[in-house]
Parts: sequence; C-alpha cells; structure tokens
Amino acid sequence: MKGFGAGSVLALLASFGFAPAAMAEGEFAGVTVEAKLIGGQQYEALYSRIADWEKATGATVKIISQKNHFELDKEYKADIAAGTTGWCVGSNHSSFAPQYPALFTDLTPLVSAESVAGFVPGNIKAATIDGKLVMLPRAQFDVSALYYQKSLYADPAKAEAFKAKYGYDLAPPETWDQFREQAEFFADPPNFYGTQYAGKDEAINGRFYELVVANGGKMFNDDMSPAFNSDAGKESLQWFVDLYKAGAVPPGTTNYLWDDLGNGFASGTIALNLDWPGWSGFFNDPAASKVAGNVGVAPAPKGSAGVRTGWSGFHGFSVTEACATKEAAASLVDFLTNEDSQKLESAPGPLPSRTAVWEYIIAQAKDDPYKSEVLAAFQETALTAFPVPPTPYWIESGNLIFPELQAAILGDKTVDQALEDASNAVDELMKENGVY
Amino acid sequence: MTRAKLPPWLLLLMPAFLILAAVVLVPLLLSLYSSFTPYHLTRPETLWKINFPFNYEKALTDPGFWKAFGRTVLLLTIALNLEMLLGLGLALMVAKVRRGQRTLRTMMMFPMMFSPILVGFMFKFIFNDNVGLVNNALQSMGLASTAIPWLVDGNLALFAIICAEVWMSTSVFAILILAGLFALPQDPLEAAKVDGCTPWQSFRYVTLPFLMPFIYIAMAIRSLDVARAYDIVQVMTGGGPAKRTELLWTMIGRTGYVDARMGYANAMGYIAILLSIAFTVYFFLKLQRARRELGMGD
Repeated sequence: MKGFGAGSVLALLASFGFAPAAMAEGEFAGVTVEAKLIGGQQYEALYSRIADWEKATGATVKIISQKNHFELDKEYKADIAAGTTGWCVGSNHSSFAPQYPALFTDLTPLVSAESVAGFVPGNIKAATIDGKLVMLPRAQFDVSALYYQKSLYADPAKAEAFKAKYGYDLAPPETWDQFREQAEFFADPPNFYGTQYAGKDEAINGRFYELVVANGGKMFNDDMSPAFNSDAGKESLQWFVDLYKAGAVPPGTTNYLWDDLGNGFASGTIALNLDWPGWSGFFNDPAASKVAGNVGVAPAPKGSAGVRTGWSGFHGFSVTEACATKEAAASLVDFLTNEDSQKLESAPGPLPSRTAVWEYIIAQAKDDPYKSEVLAAFQETALTAFPVPPTPYWIESGNLIFPELQAAILGDKTVDQALEDASNAVDELMKENGVY
Repeated sequence: MTRAKLPPWLLLLMPAFLILAAVVLVPLLLSLYSSFTPYHLTRPETLWKINFPFNYEKALTDPGFWKAFGRTVLLLTIALNLEMLLGLGLALMVAKVRRGQRTLRTMMMFPMMFSPILVGFMFKFIFNDNVGLVNNALQSMGLASTAIPWLVDGNLALFAIICAEVWMSTSVFAILILAGLFALPQDPLEAAKVDGCTPWQSFRYVTLPFLMPFIYIAMAIRSLDVARAYDIVQVMTGGGPAKRTELLWTMIGRTGYVDARMGYANAMGYIAILLSIAFTVYFFLKLQRARRELGMGD
C-alpha cells in the first residue's frame, strides 16, 4: 500500500512534468529567482508555467528583463563588464552562448542525469561548451527547411517549359543547384521572385556557413583560423551572387532579415523559401498568408558534397555563476524545459529538443496532412543539422564576413576578392585576440 | 586649531561641480582611459591592460573608418543645407499667414515629436523595394517598370536617409528662423521699400543678414545631431549593405555593443568627436561674424 502511494505521487508529479529529484513541495520557500528572459509572442506562452513552478516550490520568480535576444546579448555583455551578474536565470541561444564563457554555470551537478538524457543528444552536445553544460534547450529548436508554392509544380505548361530548358522534371529541388535553376525559372520581377535570402548580419553569415558545409568545406580550421576562402566557399558565395545577378531575388534582399522573408513568402510573391519551423503555422493561416493552402514543405536541399544544409540553433535557459540560489534557479530551468513545458511550447509549431516530445507531436499531427508534412521535412533536416562553430568569435567574425559577402552579391567586389578580404579580416581578429 | 574653511563661492558651486563631475567628467575620463586599452565587454580584465596607441593607429589606418568619416561629413553637409533652405522657405511662408498661424506652427512641429526609431521604420517601409509606397506609386504611374532598390544602391540609400532626416528635422530650422522673423525690426524693411528695393533685394540685404545668427544657431544644434546620426540609419540600413551607408556611429555602435570591443569603439568615438567640435567651432565663428555685422557685438 505504501509502495502504491509513493508510486501514485510520483505518477502525479510526472504527469505535471515534475522531476521529483529536482523539485519537492515547498523546497525553495522564500527564495526569489531573478530572471532575464527572451520576449516575443512566440516565446512568452511558456512563461505561464512559471506560476506552477512557484506554487510547487514556494519560490518567487522576478522577471527583471524581457527583450529580444540581440538586446539581451548586449545586456549580458554590459552586465559582465559591470560585474552585475547576480541575477540567476537567463535566456540563452546556442549561437550566442560561446561568447559568455564565464557568465553561466555548469548545470551538470544541478540537474538530474535522467532529465538531461531526455534531450536530443545533438542539442546537449551543442549546449556543452568547454565541457560545461551551460544551458538546457527549450522547445525552440531551429533548423531551416524548404517552403514552396505547390501550385507552381502543378502547372503542366511550366513543367514542360522547365524540362525543355533544363532537361529534368520540375519537382521541389533536392540540391542547391536545382534550387537556383528553379528560382531563376520562376522569377518574374518586379511582381514575382524565385526566392529570397536574409542578406545581413548573422543571418546571411549562417546561410553562407551552411552552404559551405553542404559544399564540402568549413568555416574555420581546428585552430579557428578562417577556412572559408576555399573552393567550397567560392562555390557557396557564387550561388548568392548568381541569384542576385539573375534578378531571381528581390533587389532589396541584402537588407532583409527573418521577418522580411516570412512576410515576403506569405505575400505570395516568392516561389521558394528556405525558412524556420516557427513560420509554418503563419504561412498556412488564411488570415495572415496569401499562400495558405498552397504551401509545400520539403527537407533542405543538398550541396555539391551531397550534404544537406542544416545550420541549426536553439533557445534555452542558463543559470549564472554568480547566482546565490543555483539549486532553485536550476530547478526552474529544468521545469521550463521538461516534457510538459515542451509539449505546451511546441503545440503552435516550434520544434522540441526532447526525444519524447518529438514522438508526441508527430503522433498528434497524424490527422493533419500539412503539419505531418512540416514535421517530416524538419525531422529529416534535423537529422544532419549542425550548430555554429564553437568559438566565442562567431558573432564578431560574422560582422567582418557579412559586409564582404554583400559586397560580392552587389558587385562591388569579385567573389575571390570578397572572400580574401573577409578571410584576412577574420585572421587579424583571431590573432589580435590571441586565439593562435 | 581652526579648521580650514572653503571660500563661500566655492562651497556654493561645489554641488554643481560634483554633479557635473559625476555625470560628465568621470564617464568621459573613463571612456578616454578605456580607449587606451583592448577593453572587451565580456572580458573585464582587459580594462587594466594598456595598449596605447594600438586602437588609435588601427582606426586611423583603417580605410573603412575614413570612408565612414567622409560619408558622415557628406550626410551632414547635404542634410544641413537642405534643412536650412526648406526651413527658411517654410518659415517665410508661415510668417505671411495671418489666420491659423498658431495651428500651422504646431503642425509644423509634428515630425519633431516622433521618435527617430519610428521615423526610421516609417521611411524603411516607404522605400522598401518590394512593398514600399514609393516603388508602388512609381510602378502604378508607369514611371518605373522595375523595383528600384532604394535602400541597396549607395546613392539612393543615402538619399532615402537624407529624406528621413530632413522630414524629421526641417522644423527645427523653421521654428528658429520664424523666431528670428518675429524679432525682425520693421524700420529697415520699410526704409528699403521707400528706397525702391525689390522684394528680393529686401530679403537678400535686409531680412537674410538679420536671420543669419538664428540660422547659425540652428546649424550648430543640428550639426551635433547629424554628426552622431545613429538611430534612423541603424533602422533603415544598419550601415549596409556592404557598408554603403556606414556612418561613424553605426560603425562605433556595432564595434562597441555587438562586437563588445569597447576600447576600440571608444578610440573611434574620440576621433569622431573631433568632427563635431570642428563643425561647432566653424558655426560659432560664423555666428560671431554675423552678429558683428549686425552690430550686436560678440
């Protein structure tokens, strides 16, 4: 009877997503956990669960900052500079995390091994920097797959014209060369464009990076010296240049960021769009999108090395090294990334980072053909996804690389010259910082 | 033993000195000091390592820095002159209005009430190549058959940024010049009329010299604003693409806050301040000369 009782309590706790080892009734009564969390509609639904954690542990969460990640990044840097890192929980991102080697603590001793084992291994690997598990991933795993307008592939006249010109059947592209050819074929500027790409900041840098990998190259050597001024690098940059020169992308694409891409595809003026999973619901929502009902989703195409592009990243939560109540903070982080939290967060579209939740959402979507198609495409792409190179200088080097990529795209420099200048600038940065 | 007493004047000035030191002098000295170091925001220990004159040498020998410097001077020159001309025209027209002038003056100040960030977003949308108002209007009227990349082409992007700056700040000139027009003594104008001057001659030789001190004050104020232009440009183009619209402060802002290289950013900032000082001194000297010509002394 005793065993049954204990089992029932455990089952009840588990049904709420509680890891018994991490959280006990009233365990942190009177503790206040200060948190800096990412803001934005897509991220805030999860925060409704904070009240449940407060109720269960007796602790209080005080959100002292809520901004987008670029702003949080600046705030963290200012906090490190000012030594004001006594707050406890912070939103983090796999692309930004290597920049703060000393800000966040190792979560391994604070979170149960069982809980950590439930995450997709690749995500945990990317969240581990210099042997420290600096964050637990939430259900905001990002990798890009291919969205396209299905009607373009159902038009016999287009199919015939395409085959006559390129010699193969018109079908959603499986390689980036096919993608380029189809984008050029569909383009009818200024009313309709074959594709678009994010053209500045980390966005174009990330796209370039994944294409370099797909074409068999790499961004950095093992000693973190630049390696992108290579044949694979040139092939990748040429792909962007060719699309721009052919007028297959909007002329302002070098100023576009993610919102511009999402709204552009939803406006019905773009044929093919490599984009994030968070947009899938928006694209198929008749109230928001002109292409609703006409959206196809396929895995990201492959480069010349037969490798699929798969620049990936994820949001998560970290605990600061200077936090006075690390156990309480880690318990909150564990709670916000547990199965129930991930089920809640992934319901409208974002992808989970726990294996069990992946299985759950696939089962949930089996009666919804569009959602099943979306999940299948992203799951396939996620299989070979890769994070950004593990260097604190990823963002900083990116700020040196992307203006050179833009210069080549806009014709200010040749591909060779742009990559050489970018490579020299990154080399100087690394040397200046004593990396090698 | 008597305690040394501070003179009363120093005692009375002390609060002002202390506040000024705390909010102006200390940050200024700290940033000047950090410009002599490789200070990186995420590595606080770098603040204690002197690397002078590395940051200054790096900035002064960087062609990108000088291009941004030149572009800032160009933006300053074009925007200030356009704003002055349009502000002068606006002020002269509003001064002629007899009914509803107060309402007009208030309306004229509307653009100044918007946050520069908002103005940046507004003009970014207006000049968007795909869904922007300008391109749609030009294409609808048959004046353009292709999408004009307003925010991509270097010259067009600078034009778009100047449009936003001019829209927001012409009224600064208009209001100050209007104040000058209200203070304009009528006797010289009437004397000019009696002497048979044409309206243009009256304006050129009587009204304009009197307005010049007001114009130079507006120029000095706006030159400081434009020389540190950041928000509108950051929103509209972020200094890009391919650094085509990079200004001093978009470059310094990115180096300091995104790349976290605060030491280097401060060094560039101190060089950039020379630009602001040069323009302020220039306009101050012009102002003094204009006042002397009017017999208003120094």
